[in-house]
Amino acid sequence: MKLLMKKVLYISSLLIAVGIMATGCVSRGNNTGWEYAPDMAYSKGYEPYNQGDSNVINPYGMSMREPVSGTVAIGKNNHYPFDNSGDGYEQAKGYEMPADMEDKENRGQYLFNIYCTPCHGEKGLNDGEIFKRGLGKPAWANFQDKYIREIPVGQIYHTLTYGKGNMGSHAYALNPADRWKVIKYVKQLSGAGVETKTTKDSAEVKSAKR
Amino acid sequence: MIKQLKTLAVVAVATLTANIYAADKPNAEEGKKLYEANNCGSCHALDKKVVGPALRGVNNRRSEEWLIKWIRNNEAFRKSGDADANKLYEEYGKAAMNVFENLTPDQVRHILEYIKTAPAPVKAKGPTENVDGASKNDDGSNLYILLTLIGIFIVVLFILSKVRNTLRRLAAERSGEILDSKGGAIRGLLPEKLSNMNPTVLTVFIFFIVLIVGSTWGYKFGITEVGVQKGYAPKQPIAYSHKLHAGELKIDCKYCHIGVEVSKSATIPSLNICMNCHKGVQKASTAEGDGISPEIAKIYKALDYSPDSANYTKAFGPNAKPIRWVRIHNLPDHAYFNHSQHVKVGKLACQTCHGPIEKMEVVQQWSSLQMGWCIDCHRTAGIDAANNNYYAALHEKAAKDLKDNKNRSKYFTPDGSVKITPAMNGGLECAKCHY
Repeated sequence: MKLLMKKVLYISSLLIAVGIMATGCVSRGNNTGWEYAPDMAYSKGYEPYNQGDSNVINPYGMSMREPVSGTVAIGKNNHYPFDNSGDGYEQAKGYEMPADMEDKENRGQYLFNIYCTPCHGEKGLNDGEIFKRGLGKPAWANFQDKYIREIPVGQIYHTLTYGKGNMGSHAYALNPADRWKVIKYVKQLSGAGVETKTTKDSAEVKSAKR
Repeated sequence: MIKQLKTLAVVAVATLTANIYAADKPNAEEGKKLYEANNCGSCHALDKKVVGPALRGVNNRRSEEWLIKWIRNNEAFRKSGDADANKLYEEYGKAAMNVFENLTPDQVRHILEYIKTAPAPVKAKGPTENVDGASKNDDGSNLYILLTLIGIFIVVLFILSKVRNTLRRLAAERSGEILDSKGGAIRGLLPEKLSNMNPTVLTVFIFFIVLIVGSTWGYKFGITEVGVQKGYAPKQPIAYSHKLHAGELKIDCKYCHIGVEVSKSATIPSLNICMNCHKGVQKASTAEGDGISPEIAKIYKALDYSPDSANYTKAFGPNAKPIRWVRIHNLPDHAYFNHSQHVKVGKLACQTCHGPIEKMEVVQQWSSLQMGWCIDCHRTAGIDAANNNYYAALHEKAAKDLKDNKNRSKYFTPDGSVKITPAMNGGLECAKCHY
């Protein structure tokens, strides 16, 4: 009896020790597990996504800061002059696409397939997965609609830059040149006859997707 | 001919004065169909301000005549100098409503009737109220309580058995008996043959067994677990589901992770990207009730944004505060990795390294991110040299080599096939990643 009790005692404590080891140092769920030489793994210099309050100067301990207002990023010096308002939208009617805007690599289509298709669908039929669920569809039916065919390119540019109605601004992802390329593709979808060279389609576009 | 007649009829309907059609009773059902067909709901809701004002009670706020003019062509109506119309336009940040000239005055009346008679929403009760951390108790704290209890239990058991032994020994001493000293703790566990061995030999024997088993296990543990965070799936401050967004909604990864083609980091999306959809989408389409989803409410809270006073020109309040996402993939500082190099140049799919992200409800680290894992791929992955503008000179030379059957050993991969690999471009050089 005594022997049995001791056996149980030792085996159970052994199991528990192994259990604690297995759960404590292996990365699962919220646990990162054991690490070696953390001062080699975690940068002392400020990296874009340092975790925690490594930076004592910046707000929220973040490494990144918002640029000073009025900063112009490299390659974005073609400043869009109109306000984010109804007046700005009116004025945008006269804003023209730069004459030298070329889209040799079907970049307009490539970007459209990333940033527009979730709502507007691949062919601009307003049948993207988000619209399919009946959320926030616009008043016009699809990109072949008269509305898109006739809307001045400047106003599409305004919408991409600031957003309109339920659509948000896409300036975060599309630089001015990219915006014009998307507009070219949108106009092409609407059948408004903006000339765009058809180049080697999509093998590349598709493989780079996702 | 018939077509012409139809056109005529439509024109007639459109131009006929309101008096004639006032006799026709506005039909709420017809109105509902029109309301949906024209997507009024994308900018308006009945009971709250979305892009445009809440519609319930609009029949009392404005005259029918005013509404018909506004809805059919608010632009012309404003230009005609109506004070109310211009005031409303100013109030909504000069965001103009679309023009609906295709609607006849009669159809507008149907819509207005629908707005007037639409049933009031049933107030959702319960969970939607709970915004701040609904489930705080599922982080494994139960396990720790259990382990602690078991620990206490064992200590008590141990002490009790000690006490029992001591008492027995005392009792034995008093009665003059001598207890059998054999049968210590470890010996009790061993078969009889072993327990009869010389204690020194036995100790050394057991020590070596433990040493061998322990170091084998420790070695394996050290190289596969320590500093390797494969399987790490932390709870994020917002329960964002990649399964829903990337899987079911088929949103491209790059829609949110915009840096992946142009920079070292794929970038964690800022909240304005969430708001591109979630200004309009305030609850899951499958959810019941009328409230805002608690997870989406966290976005609004972080942005100090009030969905009730939505204003599309000003989305964020003065007390906006970034969300502290938990970083999952943490490559050590002494190794360099660049996303654009792999995604843009190498044309890798995100899933190659991150696994089936589009099926993950909670994202976990899929790959080990160990050096051997990097090197394996650099040795075996083929480069699409023909459609690649990068390293053009190297690829040209490689293609020529392969054609001329020169330096073939250089292009052999471990699996036996002959191709151009990243290793050939210098993908195995130490200083490419460690500097």
